[in-house]
Amino acid sequence: MDFPRYHKDIVSDLLDGKFILATDAKFIELKNSADFYGKFFKETFEFYLDIKSDYAYLISEETMEMLSRDICIFLGLLCYELDKEGKNFLEEIQYAEFEYDYIDSLLDNSSYIDLIQNNNQLKNSEARRQFFGTLNRRNIIDRSSSDKRFTFTPAYKVFMDFAKNFAKGKLNAAEAEAIEE
Amino acid sequence: MRTEPRTILNFLSTYFDIIKELFDIQVKDGLVRMEVLNEVLAEHDHDILNKLIEYKFFKKIQNDYEIRPVYFKMLEFILSEFKPLLPETIEKYEHSITALFKKIKEGISKDRNILLQRITDLNNEVRDFTEAVEKNTIRLISETKELKSNVDKIDYREKVRKASFWIDYYITPLNSILDVGNKNSITNRLLDISEYINVRRLNFEDELARQQFEKLYSFLAQTNDDLLKQSKTLTNELLPLIERIRSESMILTGWIEFLKNPSKSEVPFVPKSLRAYPYNNSMYFNALEYVNEYMTNVEIYLEDPAMSASDKWIFNKDVYMTKLTQELPVKNFFEWAGKTLKSEYKEIETEKFFSLSTLLFEDSIELEFDPTADRQVIRTSEMNLRVPKIKIKRHGLS
Repeated sequence: MDFPRYHKDIVSDLLDGKFILATDAKFIELKNSADFYGKFFKETFEFYLDIKSDYAYLISEETMEMLSRDICIFLGLLCYELDKEGKNFLEEIQYAEFEYDYIDSLLDNSSYIDLIQNNNQLKNSEARRQFFGTLNRRNIIDRSSSDKRFTFTPAYKVFMDFAKNFAKGKLNAAEAEAIEE
Repeated sequence: MRTEPRTILNFLSTYFDIIKELFDIQVKDGLVRMEVLNEVLAEHDHDILNKLIEYKFFKKIQNDYEIRPVYFKMLEFILSEFKPLLPETIEKYEHSITALFKKIKEGISKDRNILLQRITDLNNEVRDFTEAVEKNTIRLISETKELKSNVDKIDYREKVRKASFWIDYYITPLNSILDVGNKNSITNRLLDISEYINVRRLNFEDELARQQFEKLYSFLAQTNDDLLKQSKTLTNELLPLIERIRSESMILTGWIEFLKNPSKSEVPFVPKSLRAYPYNNSMYFNALEYVNEYMTNVEIYLEDPAMSASDKWIFNKDVYMTKLTQELPVKNFFEWAGKTLKSEYKEIETEKFFSLSTLLFEDSIELEFDPTADRQVIRTSEMNLRVPKIKIKRHGLS
């Protein structure tokens, strides 16, 4: 049986929790063999492969996965704080370059300080640096060579979709409650 | 006595700050109340009310004043501050334009002067219509950009309310008036007229009427281009911009709800890194090496050294982990472990060496090694160990 080109890298990257971005040569190969990889990950690991127009990643149903939760908390806080500063956060996240110091100042002055201090990945500047390292390895952010700044890759959209669906879920629940009353 | 036009223009220019303030008041309140007018004039310390009435800038309505439409329109134009017209107001042009066009067709071979007047009127109606559309587009762009830049830092609920208001009452209806795909849109009506006029401008027998048709035709062609441009601006720029504000608001609502209790909510799970543990194909030889080393059975008697509980070495993982973390990146883990033990205890005790090796299983570090590379020998107090070269990185750091 012939395997697609970059097969080993595709599998190991995705299993490492990395997002494969459209700018990566592996992405096209993965997209061309979408059916094969979809079945492969489902049958072998019970993971679901999600290929969007500009990134691909694996979804697991493991409920103890803490990193996704920490990423959601981080992005939620970032959007909230950027909005508080009067910025269009979607545009900022899509195009802007963030300095670590700026993120520190946003989080350290946040009204969510209790949540931040109780989160091992976000509690202080050093922990955040490690967290950014993790996000970088997973291709969720792209660190600058000086390691002082980063930009988000299109992978951020997964989490924005999550927030949108979360809001819809909440709104639907509120509506259902109102109807019941 | 008729006032010199230049005098009026000079007057407007000299007192423009007051004029602008009065314009803003009328935009907001629909007229300028007497007491408000007095306040403005007192503030600027210029009593120009008589002149404002003399130059017909103001029209008195009982005790209050209203800027006359001709001045009001001029100020709107030079300030680019247009009051948006409701699309239904713009739509009325469809009726007037259609009615005039119908009359032109019906009276095409009747009275020449009436025909010429109708062509001129149609021309004027079309011009008023395009101006109204243009004013609305300018106003909508400025409203949307203001919402987007959000200098007033209005909250999301208000932002979305405004965005929805502009979409529902202005942008969408205006877009449908201009939509070429919509059979009943004014744009399509103008295209029909243009087609009819195109034939007449070429073969109509009366010279003057032909010239008027020609003029109307060029004007319609220009108008169609302009409307297409306005329609594109609405479709390509304003709708996505405003949709984005709506979408941003939805996302923010989601995050705020999520952050209320992040540990209780389900999140989009991405798998965490899987570490694979396959068996090495050199396992047989490794095992053989150990067996060979202990083949010869020599009886050894060990005398237990008198040892108190406090002398027993207890592996303090945290201390060594901190030490390892401080020295990251480490090129060769086992060499590091050997050196560390040697510097502390002058020799490498096997038990301690194995204890240190457990640090390899900590999640916060990342291992990198080449399985094909040569092994290296570490001599401990009791044996020689053949170990691979393992490079240690902190997660994400090299």
